[in-house]
Amino acid sequence: MTSSIRGQLLAWLLGALMVGGLLIGYSAYHRAQQDIDELLDYQLKQLAFSLSHQSVGSASPPPGLLLPEPDFITQVWDKDGVLMFYSRPNLAIPMRPRQGFSNVEWNHQAWRVYTQLDGFRTIQVAHPLSLREEMAASLTRRAVMPLVLLLPLLGVGIWIIVGQALRPLSSISSALRARTPSALEPLPQRDLPEELVPMVGSLNDLLQRLNRALEAQRQFIADAAHELRSPLTAVQLQLQLVKRAGTAEERAAALERLERGVQRSTRLVQQLLTLARQDPQDAAAGSTSIDLDHVAGEVVADFEPMAQRDGLTLTLDSQGPVHAQGDEDSLRVMLGNLVDNAIRYTSRGGVVVRVQQMGSDAVLEVEDTGAGIPADERARVFDRFYRVPGQKTEEEGSGLGLAIVKRVVDRHGGRISLDSGTGGSGLRVTVQLPSGNS
Amino acid sequence: MRLLLVEDDAMIGEAVRTGLRQDGFTVDWARDAESGDAAIKAEAYALLLLDLGLPRKSGLDWLRELRRRGNRTPVLILTARDAVADRVAGLDSGADDYLVKPFDLDELSARVRALLRRDAGRAEPLLRHGDLTLDPATHEANYRGETINLSAREFALLTALLERPGAILSRAQLEQRLYGWGEEVESNAVEVHIHHLRRKLGTDFIRNVRGLGYTVSKAS
Repeated sequence: MTSSIRGQLLAWLLGALMVGGLLIGYSAYHRAQQDIDELLDYQLKQLAFSLSHQSVGSASPPPGLLLPEPDFITQVWDKDGVLMFYSRPNLAIPMRPRQGFSNVEWNHQAWRVYTQLDGFRTIQVAHPLSLREEMAASLTRRAVMPLVLLLPLLGVGIWIIVGQALRPLSSISSALRARTPSALEPLPQRDLPEELVPMVGSLNDLLQRLNRALEAQRQFIADAAHELRSPLTAVQLQLQLVKRAGTAEERAAALERLERGVQRSTRLVQQLLTLARQDPQDAAAGSTSIDLDHVAGEVVADFEPMAQRDGLTLTLDSQGPVHAQGDEDSLRVMLGNLVDNAIRYTSRGGVVVRVQQMGSDAVLEVEDTGAGIPADERARVFDRFYRVPGQKTEEEGSGLGLAIVKRVVDRHGGRISLDSGTGGSGLRVTVQLPSGNS
Repeated sequence: MRLLLVEDDAMIGEAVRTGLRQDGFTVDWARDAESGDAAIKAEAYALLLLDLGLPRKSGLDWLRELRRRGNRTPVLILTARDAVADRVAGLDSGADDYLVKPFDLDELSARVRALLRRDAGRAEPLLRHGDLTLDPATHEANYRGETINLSAREFALLTALLERPGAILSRAQLEQRLYGWGEEVESNAVEVHIHHLRRKLGTDFIRNVRGLGYTVSKAS
C-alpha cells in the first residue's frame, strides 16, 4: 500500500479537528447544563417566592419568565393539605412535605420540584427535567455547528497548502526522471526547504560515488581495449607471416609464433576477467576461514612444472596450520599470480613461498632470486598495465598480475609490501591477512 | 634499405622485423628510445619506425629531440593510440606518417616504400634506369622487355645503386644497407651478389671503381 504524505496529513489534521470539536462540544454541553440548572433553579425559587406574596386567586406567573408558562406547574396547598390551586388541572404532582429542591419521578417523567412552606400554605413549583437537557443540547449545537460547517472547507485548504509545501519534492523527482542514466551531476541544493536538504545531500553524495565508480569503469574499459591491441596486433602480424611463409620450416616457425601470440591474448583476457571479478565493493563475499598453508601447498604444486622447465627451485616453507579469513578462490589466484611473477622474472636460483601465523595475522611471503624491482618503482607496480621498464621476459606480461594481487589483498583487509630478498637481491613480497578469529 | 624499428613489444617487434625483411628491407630493432638513439647516432637509416608507448622515455619525446637535433630521417609512427588528437600530435612532433595498431604488414611495407620514395624526391613508384625497370612493391625486375629473377639481396643492392646513378658506393656501404644487426656477412658477399647481377644484366651495367666501390653510370 502506498502512503501519501498529503493524504496522511489531511486525515490526521481533520481527525484532530474532529476530536477537538467533540471535546469542545462535550465540555460546552456540560457547562451549559450547570448554568441552566443554576438559572432555572433560581427561577423556580423566584416563582415560588412571588406566588407566596400573591393571593391564591390571581396565581399567574410573574412577567419576564425564562420558560414559557405552560412548561411550569404550580400548585398550592393549605396547611391542612387541601389543594387550593393548580395551574394544570390534569397534572397534579404529589405534595412534597419538605422545603427545597427535589427530583421527582412522576407520570413517566422526571421533574424538578421546588417546595416552599410558609406556615399557612405549601407552594410547589415544578418543570420537567427533559426541558433542561433540550436547552443544553441546543446551546451546544449552536457552539459546535460553525466548526462542523467549516470542516470541509478546512479539508480543502489543508489539501492545497500541503500540496504547495510538497512541491519541491515533486520538482526533484521530475528533475530526476528527466535525466539520462549517464547524467550524474549533483542536484541543485539552493532554495530547498530545510527538511529536504539532508535527503538531496545524501542523494548527491550517492550520485557522486556512482559517478566515480562509473568513471573508473570507463577508464578500465578504455585501458583494457588499449592493452588488448598489442597482443592482437602481434597475432595479426603473425598470422600474415604464416600466410606469407614459402617453405615448410618458415611456416612451422610462423605458426609457433602465432600460437604464442594467441596464448598471450588469452592470458590477458583471463587476467582482465579475474580483475573484474575482484570487485572492491563486495568485501564480505564468501568470507570463510581458509587453511592458507593448504592453499599455498596446492599453488606450489601447480607451478612446480613451470619452475622445473625454467631450471628453478620452488619450495614451500610452512610450519603448522595458518588461517586466513576470506574467499579461497581469490586467495589462490593472488598467490598464483605472485608465484607466476616470481618464476617469470627469475632466471637463476629459485622461489620460496613462506606461510606463517603471526599473532592475529596470517603472513604470506614469496621471495625470489630474480632481478627485483627498484625501490622507486615499487609504488607503481600495483597500477594496472604498468610494467617495470627494462624488465624483459620471454613472454610479454599482461601488466595486471600485481594489480589483481593488490585488489585481492584490499578486499581481504590485508596489507602488502615489497622489498629486496635476503641478501639485498631479488624480490620479497609480503602479504598480511587478518585471520579473523581474534 | 636499412630501417630502424623501435618497439618494446617483443612479439610485435619480431613479427614486423620478419615481415619487412621478407619485403627486402634490412631492419635493426631497438627495444627503447635510448638504444634507438644510440643506433641512429651510429648508422645511417633510410627510415625510422617508431612505437610511441616506450618504457621510460616516450617515443614522441624522443622524436621531438631528434628533430631539434636536426635529424631528417623519415619517421613512421606505429602506435595503438588512435585518437585524432594523438595522430595530430604525432605528425606535428615531426613524424611523416602514422599507422595505428593493429596494422597490415603489406600496408606497412607500402607506406615505408612511399616514404622512401618521397624522401628520394621521386613520385614514380618504379625505378627506371635505361632499359632496366625495378618495381619495389613486387620486387619484379624488367630488363630489355624481359622479366629477370633477382634474389632479395640482389634486388636491394641494385636498388641502392640505382637510387643515385653515378655515385660510387663502397663495399662497406653496401654491406651496411644489406645486413642488419646480428646478420652474418660473409667476407665476399657483396662481390658474389655483383657477380650474379652482372650475369643477368651484362658486365657493363655495374662498374667496379677499383679501390672505391661500385657504381652504375648516369642515365644514358
